[in-house]
Amino acid sequence: MIAMKFPTEARLRRIIAFVAALGIGVATYITIADSGGGAPTCLAGGGGCETVANSSYSHIAGVNVAVFGIVGYVLLLVSAFFANDLARFGGFAVALGGFGFSVYLTYLEIFKIEAICQWCVASAVLMTILFLLNATRLIGYAGTTTAAVPEEA
Amino acid sequence: MSNKREREKRREQRLQEETKVDAGERRTRLLQFGAGAVFLVIVAVVVLIVVNSGGSSGGDAQNLKEVSAVDSLVSGVPQNGMVLGKTDAKVELIEFGDLQCPVCKAYSEEILPQVIENKVDSGEARIVFKNFTIIGEQSAPAGAAALAAGEQGRGWNYLELFYRNQGEENSGYADDEFLTAVAKGSGVKDIAKWNQERTGKKLTGEVEKTTEQAQTFGFTGTPSFAIKGPNTKGIELLGSLSTPEEFEQAIDAAG
Repeated sequence: MIAMKFPTEARLRRIIAFVAALGIGVATYITIADSGGGAPTCLAGGGGCETVANSSYSHIAGVNVAVFGIVGYVLLLVSAFFANDLARFGGFAVALGGFGFSVYLTYLEIFKIEAICQWCVASAVLMTILFLLNATRLIGYAGTTTAAVPEEA
Repeated sequence: MSNKREREKRREQRLQEETKVDAGERRTRLLQFGAGAVFLVIVAVVVLIVVNSGGSSGGDAQNLKEVSAVDSLVSGVPQNGMVLGKTDAKVELIEFGDLQCPVCKAYSEEILPQVIENKVDSGEARIVFKNFTIIGEQSAPAGAAALAAGEQGRGWNYLELFYRNQGEENSGYADDEFLTAVAKGSGVKDIAKWNQERTGKKLTGEVEKTTEQAQTFGFTGTPSFAIKGPNTKGIELLGSLSTPEEFEQAIDAAG
């Protein structure tokens, strides 16, 4: 048996909550900046954000993709407040979906829109971190009770 | 007494063990679900990417789509240049758009038809299209081509038909052949006149002028909207409203 040293679940949950809160901030900024007919401002200049925000891929059925981001991050934040299997699996599933969606959106930015928006990249990075954290949480703590110690794998 | 306590202890132990087994099973099941979900997401992302990497539809001069849908949307509504609706309508809704812009296409297909039906057909409002060419090289010639169709009373037919057949941004589809096909499809009668006017100074200058006007308003993206009516102080900026209802409310408030 190999004893794996996992971080405690409480610690994982705290980090998940923190990263999800950052994600809510980024996605909300993109949504608000886009809603006034404008686009998020790229920090280092360049028109990447404008091009991305104006492209046909920025909306799905008329809804800005960042809105889906907000929903995902909020769900992840909520999942961090509970220490049960529903929260562990739900958090993992949402983060996995968000991660897959981020991979697809990044593909679109690079190969289809041919422009990069830093805010979208920031969100993709946060979602990737959340996916890794939630996967760690699920693998380490699925099936355990609140006060459980890490399972040995 | 001691027997009873022992029985209780054994029962507790058994329950604990059962819970442990349950927890183990639950854990295995959850991890299996997790692995299944990972697999599904990988498949979904691959499918999405494959579907998107195919050639985009639209931008095909040989095969224009939805000619009749456009006809039925704007037929019967008065047109004058790029103005759709009665000239004496109280409220004027101004759209700054780029024919190459996919969001403008989405507006023209999903949002504006309801506004046209409820507010323009009734004579309450008219919609004016102005070029705000920001996408690329072919945006301005396309804009001028629409204005030239407008000179023959087919401006909105041109606009709507172009959007419905729009190709991928800056892929070079909006060439003379495509612009001409859209002109024919939208019912422009005198193609020679249209050809002359779309390249003439008057209309190309108009495209530049309205683009500058949009920039003066502070617009950064297309489509952007402005409104003018008895209850507005001159032209008021709306930005990009996102539902037909919001447009209808803005028209009500302006009139």
